[in-house]
Amino acid sequence: MKPLPVKKSPCLHRFWIMLVLSAGVLLVGCESGSRGKAGHAGLVYWPAANAQEIELAGLAAAEWNAAHPDVPVTVQPIPESQSTEEVLLAAVVGKTTPDVCSNIWPGVVGQFVRAGALVALDSFADFDSVAAARLPEGQREVFQYDDGRLYQMPWKSNPIMMEYNVRRLQEAGFTHPPATYSEFIRAGQALTRDLTGDGQPDQWMLYVDINVKWWLRYFDFYTFYLAASGGQTLIKNRQVTFDNRAAVEVFRFFRRCFELGIFPRASFQGDTFLAGQVATHITGPWNIAHVDKFKPAGFEFDYAPVPLPDSAAGPVVTYGDPKNIAIFATCQNPRAAWEFVKFLISRRQDLALLRIASQLPIRRDLLSDSLYMPYFKEYPKMVRFAEQAPRTRGVDSAPELREVFDAISQEFEACCVLGRRTPEEAVQRAAERARQVLR
Amino acid sequence: MKVERKIAGNRSSRTGFLLSLPYWAWFAFFMAWPLLFSLVLVFHEWDIYTPMRWVGLGNFVRLFQDDLFWQAILNTLYFLVIHIPLQIGLALLFAVLLNEKIRARGFFRAAYFMPVVVSGIVISLLWQQLFSYENGILNLLLARAGLARIPWLTSPEWAMPSVALMATWKNVGLYIILFLAGLQNIPAWLYEAAGIDGATAWQKFRHITLPMLNPAVIMVLILSTIGGFSLFIEPYVLTGGGPMNRTLSAMLYIYKQAFYFNRMGYAATLGFFFAFIILAVVLVQRKVVEQEALE
Amino acid sequence: MKRALIWLILILGTVVFLYPFLWMVSATFKPEMEIPSFGLLPSSITLASYEQVFAKIPILRSLLNSLVVSISITASVLFFGSMVGYALSRLRFRGREVMVMVILFTMMIPFQLTMIPLYILMVKLHWTDTYLALIVPGMMSGFGILLFRQFFKSVPQALIDAARMDGLSDLQILFRIIWPLSRPVLITVGIITFMNSWNDVLWPLIVIRDQSIMTMPQMVTIFAVSGMAEAQLGVKLAAATLLALPVIIAYAFFQRYFIESLASTGLKG
Repeated sequence: MKPLPVKKSPCLHRFWIMLVLSAGVLLVGCESGSRGKAGHAGLVYWPAANAQEIELAGLAAAEWNAAHPDVPVTVQPIPESQSTEEVLLAAVVGKTTPDVCSNIWPGVVGQFVRAGALVALDSFADFDSVAAARLPEGQREVFQYDDGRLYQMPWKSNPIMMEYNVRRLQEAGFTHPPATYSEFIRAGQALTRDLTGDGQPDQWMLYVDINVKWWLRYFDFYTFYLAASGGQTLIKNRQVTFDNRAAVEVFRFFRRCFELGIFPRASFQGDTFLAGQVATHITGPWNIAHVDKFKPAGFEFDYAPVPLPDSAAGPVVTYGDPKNIAIFATCQNPRAAWEFVKFLISRRQDLALLRIASQLPIRRDLLSDSLYMPYFKEYPKMVRFAEQAPRTRGVDSAPELREVFDAISQEFEACCVLGRRTPEEAVQRAAERARQVLR
Repeated sequence: MKVERKIAGNRSSRTGFLLSLPYWAWFAFFMAWPLLFSLVLVFHEWDIYTPMRWVGLGNFVRLFQDDLFWQAILNTLYFLVIHIPLQIGLALLFAVLLNEKIRARGFFRAAYFMPVVVSGIVISLLWQQLFSYENGILNLLLARAGLARIPWLTSPEWAMPSVALMATWKNVGLYIILFLAGLQNIPAWLYEAAGIDGATAWQKFRHITLPMLNPAVIMVLILSTIGGFSLFIEPYVLTGGGPMNRTLSAMLYIYKQAFYFNRMGYAATLGFFFAFIILAVVLVQRKVVEQEALE
Repeated sequence: MKRALIWLILILGTVVFLYPFLWMVSATFKPEMEIPSFGLLPSSITLASYEQVFAKIPILRSLLNSLVVSISITASVLFFGSMVGYALSRLRFRGREVMVMVILFTMMIPFQLTMIPLYILMVKLHWTDTYLALIVPGMMSGFGILLFRQFFKSVPQALIDAARMDGLSDLQILFRIIWPLSRPVLITVGIITFMNSWNDVLWPLIVIRDQSIMTMPQMVTIFAVSGMAEAQLGVKLAAATLLALPVIIAYAFFQRYFIESLASTGLKG
């Protein structure tokens, strides 16, 4: 055998290259792991990820920073790709939570508290006087945790109402918005039609997203259920309370609407309400500005409470989609954070919330405070939401809530969209699954 | 001589140990620890954020009462019942054809293999369009042929068969190659001998080709079974597990429990059971197929 | 007659397997309204779909992430895998047989079993949303080790003895003598490892939430599923095409290696 030509120099370069590479990878990883930490002196503030709230937060921070250069606030919007709750829970585990977040959904507050992630706000001496202006009469229990303490500052609510195309309903013979299921269905039957003559309808009453993602049911089943049940939520003391007539009525109503074809069973792109494809839309106050901005000439729209079962009586209670402010336990300077929170809920900031984000601050004197009157004069449609605001509900604070909603959503699909189960059966099954989940 | 060996042995003993250390480190962290920790998890309820709670056999009780767990198993079996025969049939057909002396064989092989290398997400997004009820290419074809449209992904009955069809399209190229390799290993004299004995083409296929392809068939069965229980991205993209949970796969259900509902303990329990089922099914398949080959 | 039938079926098969890809690529250049049709030729070519993808998601960043992750994993599997494979095939040490058994055992363990605890480990190590979570768990491959071991066994002992005589250490023997002889197995393990990590989406979905660390398949999946694409077909297909492109190009050049690698091991990508 021929001797191999071998250099004597140590030929471990591959080994070293690999080691250096691995070290590089580790470094990059660690660096990206520690990103997002701001300096000790300042505060990190996470607003919701939509453009209006980011703008609002930016303006608020600028104003605050001008007045408090010693505790500068840095705004970091929550990454858009995931739900806020997921991002926050991941941050809790990684101990990378912000100091202040204004997109706290009451449904997860319990989980945060049990993870020791939140500062109890009522530990600040002036809490009661600050909260008094915000907490609606007799609503303290709604916001407090099981231990009787408050970990969230009520910030804003978005009563969900029925947006309607005035002309379209007039064409269907309705001068007032339909208030009951049978009125709603009648209007739907009158205006659902085939405009292009291809045998398929292309104008409907309402577009319901038929995807089964659990949170989509806030804007159809849950909103209609709160109205039908007079404001009863899904769970009480970890007992399922929604296996009742109201839920069955809501299921029957949606099933009938899909069956009649007044709700399309397809998925659409774009805004079906603005395009005139549907006559109604279940939405919140943020949509006023949107529709005003993009509406075609001559487009008239207004808002009304969602319809009720024929047998039920008003006034209508609706889903409030509340979002609150919390201070996280990782905060190095909770006093300063509390001052910042008080700044965020000040009268002037509430006006900015109305003006920039078109969302309703939770405060008692909203319609009577002279500061806000010019705004409501300018945007009369917002008055409808402000009037609805006292009669809203949030969601139950149970860690299993998503699963309960998922169970409902599965049955909603099976019964209402696909028509494979009776409303009674569907509600029964959803309740049964919810009981299993809560056990 | 003996002394030399001993020295060499000693030297390699140390080096061998050193060289295998990285593996042991990896094994300890990413295999042994997860395996042991899964044994802890199955007895606990845990959302990662709040402290763990011991629930004893609670997760197992939940599992046996959980309709969706059984639904996921049923779905997977349904998937396999469609996918495996289709896969084997098509792969056999094309392998036999490609085994003929034919020009451009390399091209055909490469063409059929293409979906195998492309990511499952690409395939799913592509087929999402093909399957679309309103204006998917498949339904346009059907309509042009004067047939009724098929609600590929939107009807509970069709959804899983559609997913199985797509999975077959994606994977069959691999099995064509496997079968082809198997065919080429069959010695020609076997066929010649059978020809002399007066065997028909079908008899040759049944008694020579099929038994000789047995290892390839086992491979298809095992890989398809594991694939069926690991089905994730296809339903995740196409249907989200619906309609009516008919495409909820084992993996998707674990994912949902863990990352939608934060039930780590229960998700680990599900993983435990599905892993167990996979092993059992694979062992049974191997036994049955080997037995059949012996007969 | 028989020939013609065979040809017919084979060509039909080609259409079934290739046409959808051609159609997909052409659809990304069509105006949105023209996508639902068989034809490959649009009335006018538009780049609107691609413009939207680039505007809506940091797709190039995710391409870079994917490259970093897949290359690191592949390099590591080749490097450490061949080291362990060498030890297992060429060196005698205590625990060698046990190790082979352990590797075989780990290869039988379905991911379903270890996924959740592995995720929790990443959380505990604070590795979520870092490259570490994407790379480190994939740095070793039992299957790669066994392939290396198998191949290295066939290297003539005389070659190794001669190298030892020349005073080469084991690492030098591995990288200087054995690696150059092991092109086929390096390519096989390399292709399979790279493809598996390139195409993986479940693990990134679990450990990465931060858009700037997402891998390309994950980014495309989230883009398509989360509604960011706003149900626009062309945009979704453009994202899918961008994701498929690197693999398709590699496949066009090295298809023989791809086919042989994947078929020799029976592993799917």
